[in-house]
Amino acid sequence: MMEALQFEFMQHAILAGILVSFAAGIIGSLIVVNRMVFLAGGIAHTSYGGIGLAVYFGLPIFLGASIFAVGAALLIAALTLKKRHRMDTFIGLIWAVGMAIGVIFVDLTPGYNVDLMSYLFGSILAVSSEDLYFMGGLLTLILFIITFWYRDILAVSYDSEYAALRDVNVRFFYTLILILSALTVVVAIKVVGLILVIAMLTIPVYIAEKLSNSLFSMMFISGSIATLFTLLGLWTSYTYNLTSGASIIIVSAVSLGIFLLFNKKVIL
Amino acid sequence: MSVVEITDLSFSYEKQTVLENINLKVEEKDFLAIIGPNGGGKSTLLKLILGMYTPQKGNITVLGKTPKHSLTQIGYVPQNTNVNTDFPIKVIEVVMMGHVEGKRPLFGYGKHEEVCALGALEKVGMDNYAHTKIGSLSGGQRQRVMIARALCTHPQILILDEPTSSIDITGQREIYELLKTLNEHITIIVVSHDISVILEYANKATHINKTLSYHDISDKTQTFHTHGKDGHFCEIELLQMLGAENCDTCEEEIPTWRQKP
Repeated sequence: MMEALQFEFMQHAILAGILVSFAAGIIGSLIVVNRMVFLAGGIAHTSYGGIGLAVYFGLPIFLGASIFAVGAALLIAALTLKKRHRMDTFIGLIWAVGMAIGVIFVDLTPGYNVDLMSYLFGSILAVSSEDLYFMGGLLTLILFIITFWYRDILAVSYDSEYAALRDVNVRFFYTLILILSALTVVVAIKVVGLILVIAMLTIPVYIAEKLSNSLFSMMFISGSIATLFTLLGLWTSYTYNLTSGASIIIVSAVSLGIFLLFNKKVIL
Repeated sequence: MSVVEITDLSFSYEKQTVLENINLKVEEKDFLAIIGPNGGGKSTLLKLILGMYTPQKGNITVLGKTPKHSLTQIGYVPQNTNVNTDFPIKVIEVVMMGHVEGKRPLFGYGKHEEVCALGALEKVGMDNYAHTKIGSLSGGQRQRVMIARALCTHPQILILDEPTSSIDITGQREIYELLKTLNEHITIIVVSHDISVILEYANKATHINKTLSYHDISDKTQTFHTHGKDGHFCEIELLQMLGAENCDTCEEEIPTWRQKP
């Protein structure tokens, strides 16, 4: 493993793993406490439409995926704020349509077709310097927002009806949480792929939930746990020559199993 | 001046009329009980008083102003505070949510907000639990925390929606005793199903089922036929006075009239 650290792609992978894991830990906490897991899954798959568009028009993949995912987040926010009871229908719809758009645009792209698998299951070993800037920028943005608007985000997440009565702009913060989720999903696609994103956003958070008594500590603990899982997964993938994204998820799932086994009283 | 004054109010969701021609005056330091069947419009009326909905017809003033301008004067304890118990949040953080925007620090909470929240927790007897996770409290304790959250802005009116619906009998008594103490300084409006308990504490009662009937019950020995030596009174009679056709909390099909002691 040590000799692997000399390679630039490995250094990039480790750095990307840390940045994305912290972003996923923080935003995953918000997604779980707001019960938006299905919603995040929808955004993840929808963003494949953005990947297809980016490939077709020759744009940077992150840019295409981000614009598409944020668009999906805004659409979902607008729809769910109005018709909450039909939320699952809308998400399912956007989920499928986004994927379909992506597949069709990749089909239409002349010449070499991009490797669909790398977006479905991640390509952490192919992280470029630009990708790292994007990930670093996103984590900084998330930390900035969480620091200054922690109380509003907490109020909206815990009891949005009451927050509205206390003059907190619920629509704004609900939409903001969704946009940050969309951007985090996009960077996490690079690490674990869009199919496995949900596991990365929820497994560390589930463990952290049992260990923390405030949202802040939950975010910090799940960020740290996610980092640990990602690095362990990366090591497993390198040592046994396995797909990195899937290794990270399996490491997370096995760890969750062990955690639950030693913590029987906190299950449920 | 009345604390809450409602005149000729009507309200409907899309096509269905929920409230019709409501007139109600709540005076300072009243303890008003709002009773009535499910779907009768009780919660809707509360939400109108809180300014969460706007009436299609009629007028509501709270402390002489529109509800939206009196937000800091109204403390509100919503229904179903037992949901979301997994949420990782400390008691004091929940209470501090009661503060209204204003002089807030750059990030986190101000010292004055923390002191104020601890004061509110002390009033409800929960100050020892300030740093406990909310999910590990019992239903009754959690309800006290929600009352503390409502007291955070030092309101003149406290509005509670079914405050004891998921609490055991002892817990219910304790909540009502707490409300009785708070009532020495502030006006209290409670929507409740626990008619027999609430009416012992309330001095006024209204029954809402689309329309409203109102009764002053401050002198309980005069108003009710009491039975037994404990001064317990019969809720069925009250329901009849207030215009209910039948009693939805008792098993007797035909209400039995009881003798005056």
